[in-house]
Amino acid sequence: MDAAIRTEGLTKVFGKTRALNSLSLEVAAGEVFGYLGPNGAGKTTTIRLLLGMLQATSGRAEIFGVDCQRHPVEAHRRLSYVPGEASLWPSLTGKETLELLGRVQAATDTAYRDVLIDRFQLDPSKRVRAYSKGNRQKLLLIASLMSRADLLVLDEPTSGLDPLMEQAFRHSVTEARERGQTVFLSSHILSEVEALCDRVAILRAGDLIEVGTLAQMRHLSAALVEAEFDSAPPDLSQVPGVRDVEVQGNRVQCQVTGPVRPLLEVLAASPVRHLLMREPSLEELFLAIYGSAGAPGEVSRAA
Amino acid sequence: MPPDSRASRRATRVAAAISARRMVRSAGLWGAVFGGYIAYAAWEYATSYPTVASREKIALTFGTNAGFSALLGQGQRLATIEGVTAWRAMGVLVPVGAVWAMLVATRLTRGEEDAGRLELLLAGQTTRGRAVAQAEAGLAAGLALLWVITAAATVAAGSPARIGISAGSALFLATAVVTGAVMFAGVGVLAAQLAATRRQANGIAAAIFGASLLIRVVADSTPGRHWLRWLSPLGWAENLHPLTSPAPVMFLPIAAFTAALAAAAVFVAGRRDMGAGVLPASDTPRPHTSLLHGPAGLAVRLGRPVITGWAAGLAIVGLIGGLVAPSAARAISSSSAIERTIGRLGVQPGSAAYLGIIYLIGSALICFAAAGQVSATRAEEAGGYTDHLLAREVSRWHWMTSRLAASTALIIIAGLAAGLSGWAGIAGQHTGLGFAELAKAGLNIIPPALFVLGVGSFAYGIWPRLAAPAAYGLVAWSFLIELLATVITNRWLLDTSVLHHIQPVPAARPDWTSAAWLTGLGTLAALAGTGLFSRRDLAGA
Repeated sequence: MDAAIRTEGLTKVFGKTRALNSLSLEVAAGEVFGYLGPNGAGKTTTIRLLLGMLQATSGRAEIFGVDCQRHPVEAHRRLSYVPGEASLWPSLTGKETLELLGRVQAATDTAYRDVLIDRFQLDPSKRVRAYSKGNRQKLLLIASLMSRADLLVLDEPTSGLDPLMEQAFRHSVTEARERGQTVFLSSHILSEVEALCDRVAILRAGDLIEVGTLAQMRHLSAALVEAEFDSAPPDLSQVPGVRDVEVQGNRVQCQVTGPVRPLLEVLAASPVRHLLMREPSLEELFLAIYGSAGAPGEVSRAA
Repeated sequence: MPPDSRASRRATRVAAAISARRMVRSAGLWGAVFGGYIAYAAWEYATSYPTVASREKIALTFGTNAGFSALLGQGQRLATIEGVTAWRAMGVLVPVGAVWAMLVATRLTRGEEDAGRLELLLAGQTTRGRAVAQAEAGLAAGLALLWVITAAATVAAGSPARIGISAGSALFLATAVVTGAVMFAGVGVLAAQLAATRRQANGIAAAIFGASLLIRVVADSTPGRHWLRWLSPLGWAENLHPLTSPAPVMFLPIAAFTAALAAAAVFVAGRRDMGAGVLPASDTPRPHTSLLHGPAGLAVRLGRPVITGWAAGLAIVGLIGGLVAPSAARAISSSSAIERTIGRLGVQPGSAAYLGIIYLIGSALICFAAAGQVSATRAEEAGGYTDHLLAREVSRWHWMTSRLAASTALIIIAGLAAGLSGWAGIAGQHTGLGFAELAKAGLNIIPPALFVLGVGSFAYGIWPRLAAPAAYGLVAWSFLIELLATVITNRWLLDTSVLHHIQPVPAARPDWTSAAWLTGLGTLAALAGTGLFSRRDLAGA
């Protein structure tokens, strides 16, 4: 089966700025894929290249095996897109917008559209200019989801949504996954990505620096350890794999990377009263990756 | 002074400066046009009518001609350079300034609100009422610039002994010609507070302008109805009579009217909700989806008000032209300058010649509409609206050609409306002109507009941010060349005007070969632009 998205050496240069640098990425059909990075990292550039809205400086990109730079319309037949900026024709009503967008995409499941209108509590009789930002975003989400497209490309789809609507969005993405649809989700809301995505890629300054499942990323990253002792704690700073040791009285906090056996052996020989060990959250992973000074172009594939 | 108060004053100055800055370029440009036109009108009269006899002859004709009075207003002392210069300057520049200022005023107030930028200001140390007052201050600064440039050019043009207009009189004239802009800036600002959208505000302001113009036309062209001028702001401006019998007292109603509008706008702004208007606007209309099947239908649906507006505008131009053509023709036969212009066009004076000139003006207007279409196409892309279609099963080629088709339809409809309404105006006046001649006159003004659309689309394909300036620039350049055509001898220079390649139909037979070239080149340029658009990056604002 073709990958839903495949890019090879995809590069985009604007003037002197290298917005995307030789991106090679594969998103399998049926997976929910998170695409992370701070502002200006190249997420939207990637999406606009996939949609054929930007011309690649070099490299290629495919949607279900179709070159989306050369044959964008064929590629669009199997995808649906939600942009981050909810600008819609202000003089049209919500219903008119849904009719228009439904007619220019491959398919529309009208029954599902009505379900989505209910789920997102949208009043489609209003003109777009009368909608709040959140309601315009809901309209775009409904227009995209009602297509039941094989690939949903979502660029910051929940900006402006309230927590209830955020739940409705998560429910819709879960439904899409259950139907076998692929979701490419670019988001700043890390809890959303953590809850929904099977795999995650992280960009920095146009370079792909991390890609894999969250479990794989956590495995490669440091686990957090907190220990409390009956007496003065042992010196953990010399234990292989242990770093960032902080001691406060009888309490120690540190991070451990790789095998934990050396640390456990030291702890077992000490009067440990309380021990807590946990994997980092996506937010901690994200911040750790952005805090580290990895050389551009070095991709860590947590596979 | 407390820091809060100082910060508030600084915020006020900044907001006014932003409005002024956004107005400077167009105010400077229009100032140059105003000054240049006044200088040209004075110079041309002095050159064309050097003798007393020639001046008295033309004064006799124009002074009693209803057709020209309807177009330019009632002239005074038309046997003098002062009389003719003031007549032409006031007749042309007052309404032009009014339309420009009206559109700028709604853009700087309601346009900013619609775009959401006003909210940023209101989040600072200001209020809705103060924000409007700040925009008014910025507008006033722009209008002052318009006046300064116009006044400088008028004083300079009037100083040679051959013209002999004193500096004081020149300043009065410059002040009088900008009164249209001043009053209708006020109309625009108030309309922007009453309406729910900028488009609605433009509609309200345009309706007030139309009514003012109509009252002024009736007052000037109907015997015994001169008192009607008191009912129209454009009539008040006319009653200033610069250079002939100056009536500075007329500045009082003009100033009072403008001040009242400005104060009312501030008052209304302070008492309405952001994003809402005083007049009702339905946000839940009955859905109409019949046109919404693709980019072509969408372009028609979104452009419908513009299409209707231009078709109505061109129809009015044609209708008035047709109605006054016979009487205007009699005046033309007495004007050596117009005869020379017409002679250059290679036709004989008469109703047909007058209509030939009217349709040349119509061709400039329809070219302006074509440039507006290029600008609207760019606005769709810059606003991110295009993305929703191009991310679906709509190719760039399909989107662009659909927009071009809708724009072409607008141009054809507006051209035909001008032709058919001209025929309606002239019907029954025994001019020897029939339906076929006027229909051809309407068709004749279409090819230059298609050429402008093509060139603008080509520019859009290469460099989208320059597309609108390129299209508007081509129209403005062509209009300038036509304005100065009687003194330009260089054929190559004349040929750079797109308007120079059409015949003054119905006074002459249409040059279908030139029309075919303009249409063909425009089509090729549009297709090339579409091809280039298909291969470039989409560009935001």
